[in-house]
Amino acid sequence: MSITGILEFIGRWFRLDVFVALVIASLLAGVVIWIGGPFLTLSDGSQGVVPGLDGYLFIAGALFSIGVFGFLARRNAISMLMSIELMVNAVNLAIIAFGAFIPALTTHASVIALVVMAVAAAEATVGLAIVIAIFRNRRTPLVDEYSAMSE
Amino acid sequence: MTLPQAIPFLNWSWDYFLFLNLALVLLGSAVMTVLGRNIIHSGLWMMLCFAALAGMYVLLQAPLVDAAQVLIYIGAISVLVLFAIMLTQTKFGPARLIFHRQATSAALAAIVLAALLLIVVVDTDWPGQLTAAAHTATDALARLLFDRYVLPFEVVSILLLAAVIGGVYLAKREPDEPSEI
Repeated sequence: MSITGILEFIGRWFRLDVFVALVIASLLAGVVIWIGGPFLTLSDGSQGVVPGLDGYLFIAGALFSIGVFGFLARRNAISMLMSIELMVNAVNLAIIAFGAFIPALTTHASVIALVVMAVAAAEATVGLAIVIAIFRNRRTPLVDEYSAMSE
Repeated sequence: MTLPQAIPFLNWSWDYFLFLNLALVLLGSAVMTVLGRNIIHSGLWMMLCFAALAGMYVLLQAPLVDAAQVLIYIGAISVLVLFAIMLTQTKFGPARLIFHRQATSAALAAIVLAALLLIVVVDTDWPGQLTAAAHTATDALARLLFDRYVLPFEVVSILLLAAVIGGVYLAKREPDEPSEI
């Protein structure tokens, strides 16, 4: 079984109900701990583990890599645009995380993130308009059939 | 009944618990956006991904960016993407092959990129704690945006105007074209 086959298998069977069940189970565990916590009093009054900058940056890196894979691998032009949106969002998350953890950057990071969002909105508008314009001529959204340039 | 400071047994703070949940939702929905066969479902997964990112911004104490994320991404860009999907649906349904032939090498490239980013993140000595005063005051942000960063602000506004005009021009149907999109 190739890597492509494994990925398509995941895409077919990792469905909404499985995912929602996972998240609800995790949240229920949290509620149980919340209710049962005062009776247990095992915490020594410390703050506990807090998420650090490296955790956020790792999440941003993973999201960016997922976007890179989608942009390189999907055939549908709109899927490629959605992958670009994922990458832009990963960069935004990294910027906000830097701003939250480095005091000198706090407000600057918010300003940069807002500008990035505006640019991403403009990019999405133009990209989708181009896809629709090409679709009107070629009757397909699949990019590997846009071969007029290479013929 | 008061909330305990940290989660017993695990010694996690509540922020960490929320962070792990949001990370699960974020990465899972991003994977589904990329791998899903039905492209409309991909668009809806993308909306869930943006919502989880909005939760991350709340954890990072950036309320204005959070509001902008909900308004711009979940409200505007997702709707735009969904409309474009519905305009470009062919009657043959979803394509039989959703990936290119180079999907294997693309997966390898993405995995290598993720590994490199992980190595860089782990190896660097980052500043540790979330600063207590990190809470972004809106008036400070507005002062910065309209004073020091006023030139990028204006440039972005011109860019948005140009994008709107260009989008309308590109997507406009020619007058003599058959109208069967």
